[in-house]
Amino acid sequence: MLENYLPILVFIAIGLGFGAFLELAGYLAAPRKENFDKTLPFECGFDAFEDARNKFDVRFYLVAILFIIFDLEVAFLFPWAVVFQELSWFAIGAMGVFLGLLVVGFIYEWKKGALEWE
Amino acid sequence: MADSVNYSIISSEIFLLIALCVIMLVDLFQRDKERKLTFMLTQGSLLTLFIMGVQDLGVQETIGFSGHWIQDQFAVVLKLAIYLTAFISLLYARPFIRERNLMRGEYYLLTLFSILGMMIMVSANSLLVVYLGLELLSLSLYALVALQRDSNDASEAAVKYFVMGGLASGFLLYGISLVYGMTGSILIDEVANYIAVSGANLMIQFGLVFIVVGISFKFGAAPFHMWLPDIYHGSPSSITAYISSVPKIAAFGMAFRVLESSFGGADIHWTPMIMIVAMLSVIVGNIVALIQTNLKRMLSYSAIAHIGYFLLGLSIGTDEAYAASMFYIIVYALMTLAGFGIIIFMSSDKNDYQQISDLRGMGRYHPWYALMFTIIMISMAGIPPLIGFWPKLEIFRLLVINDHVLAAVVAIAFSVVGLVYYLKVVKEMYFTEATDSPNVSNSRSLKIAISVNCLLLVIFGLMPDRIYYYCLSAFTSLN
Amino acid sequence: MTFQVIVFYSFAAWVVFSALMVITSKNSVKAALFLVLTFASASVIWLLLEAEFLALSLIVVYVGAVMVLLLFVVMMMDIDYAALRQGFVKKLPFAIAASLAFFALLYFFITHGEFSAVHFAQPEAKSADYSNIKELGRVMYTDYVIAFETAAVILLVAIISAIALTFRGRKHRKAQVISKQLAANKRNRLKIVSMDAVVEEPVSQVNDVEEEGEDK
Repeated sequence: MLENYLPILVFIAIGLGFGAFLELAGYLAAPRKENFDKTLPFECGFDAFEDARNKFDVRFYLVAILFIIFDLEVAFLFPWAVVFQELSWFAIGAMGVFLGLLVVGFIYEWKKGALEWE
Repeated sequence: MADSVNYSIISSEIFLLIALCVIMLVDLFQRDKERKLTFMLTQGSLLTLFIMGVQDLGVQETIGFSGHWIQDQFAVVLKLAIYLTAFISLLYARPFIRERNLMRGEYYLLTLFSILGMMIMVSANSLLVVYLGLELLSLSLYALVALQRDSNDASEAAVKYFVMGGLASGFLLYGISLVYGMTGSILIDEVANYIAVSGANLMIQFGLVFIVVGISFKFGAAPFHMWLPDIYHGSPSSITAYISSVPKIAAFGMAFRVLESSFGGADIHWTPMIMIVAMLSVIVGNIVALIQTNLKRMLSYSAIAHIGYFLLGLSIGTDEAYAASMFYIIVYALMTLAGFGIIIFMSSDKNDYQQISDLRGMGRYHPWYALMFTIIMISMAGIPPLIGFWPKLEIFRLLVINDHVLAAVVAIAFSVVGLVYYLKVVKEMYFTEATDSPNVSNSRSLKIAISVNCLLLVIFGLMPDRIYYYCLSAFTSLN
Repeated sequence: MTFQVIVFYSFAAWVVFSALMVITSKNSVKAALFLVLTFASASVIWLLLEAEFLALSLIVVYVGAVMVLLLFVVMMMDIDYAALRQGFVKKLPFAIAASLAFFALLYFFITHGEFSAVHFAQPEAKSADYSNIKELGRVMYTDYVIAFETAAVILLVAIISAIALTFRGRKHRKAQVISKQLAANKRNRLKIVSMDAVVEEPVSQVNDVEEEGEDK
């Protein structure tokens, strides 16, 4: 089974090697003239006066978490879809209940207005 | 597989799940700020579940769903206790949450979800399902604690609860995974078989340590108790009343299923650990409770002490002792519900009155409720005519019979220490001069609920064998 | 040493290195990125154990979704990370001692005792057409149906609690309602009221009279 994944390993190795090579090449080949001004932030010509981090609206979080829940649901769907044809009606019903519960959740969030933006 | 699917053993869970979906959708289309219909439906489904449970009493042990699910007298009795205490706690909650912008459909929904989690915990017959039930319970509870979004205390409590709960789940899961690695099965019966055949080797013991730590964490037993007072103190009182009572019953179910049903053959390895944890909880809980001035914190340390007594019963390891533990935890849930009921009763307007000194003058201005609170305190202290006395007596008796005389002596000594802080509350109500009437709720349903709850403590105290009979029946049917 | 063992050790080294970097790096964004690296390397190790579905879902769910959310939070949140790291050096010896003890314990269990390789035969390598996902699918919806449905309920609770904890109602919604715009007509926008012509009194007088009245 593992031999099926050999191409991925080769791909990882090439990716790592290529990335490392480019970094290294740049490091070795590029001219380096150090200058204090080069290390300063470029931001519109003056120094940064506050942190980029900021308090942000919690709605972003809500959307993200709702996305993750449905993303997880997909992870449960994959094995089901693969063996769909050999499954009994019981197992198909089990998936029906699973999806049904999430549909109830979906109706809930829709009707609550959690999916709306402004 | 399909041949082992027996829907009758899971009927109450299916009912609750359907009821939940219906309540969710009904709540969605409600404009009523009071959420009266949601409340009614929630309580109605709890009542229906209770009736279904009563009809299940005396069932034969049935295992289904490929061995993952079990229906027996033990589960039925625990579930009945869960429905009853949850019902009372929701009665308490209603006037309290009305004043605090907590009157939202989610309050009831999350409570029902946590009840579903607890039902799964006590009926699970595989470690995986136990764990999932526990997570369902915990997740709902974290959200319930955090529901009061504008309160810093509640948010802090929720984060602490979440982190600590996550840690505890991690320990439990790690222990389970080690046991699974060793035995090759996640089913409780097969783990028990493995131990019966090959004995508890070092690896099983190693896993057991993690499982015991995880369970103690969830119970809030010392030395894993640090989170408990902060969370009980920080959460809104009606939620404290809920999380301090009902989930303990389910946690007992989980502890029994995991420790006794799976590792019963290896009890020489885990009973000493539980014994140590229990003794520490009794000592720490009782001593620290002495110096508390906040009623909520005092009750949470007293909860640690009570968990200690209860775990002492678990550590004896005979069927009779398990029954005594079960008796203890059910009685404890009823008592602590009433105990936090006092705080709800005092804080029905926007302010929270949680100090013991806030009770001053109760005896003069509200003699009936002062009497009720005295009953609760005396029952918690374990003084004879009241219900709190009997399970304690039973556990001490079994400790002595099973040659744990030292433990019994220490537990009794600290029980006397406990008397001091319970009586302090009574003293504050009757004997401290007060200039003003203490604040009490004027909600009629709350008055009735608290009176009924306290009178139950008296009535059951006069005939404790009623509950104890069912607890014993749960274990005699196992053999 | 077979090829697989080499792959295992190189990725295990990545896991250990990046996990250490997660807890030691000063910049929290870097720490989160190292966590991604930890997950990715761990998924290779799972793949070596022939748990391909778990390995892939680790990538899809954790690296793809959870870590993106975490990174997002870490990058945006206004937290003083220097304060969080206080006491790191002071507690380091205890942490090292505890983890060394735990490592020794685990090492002992893996090399000696019932968990060691002596007691467990090396599992056969699966053939090329073996599908881990199929094996999972065959049992997950039948034997493990209770656990499966419980997982659905947990996801449902997650939806409800996320909404309960973060959603503040749809008060400030400014969305267009197209049907309402189309249904608008003259009658419900413009109201013509017929009234008698009024000759206005000089304003200042009226005000004076009112003020006097109030004084009395």
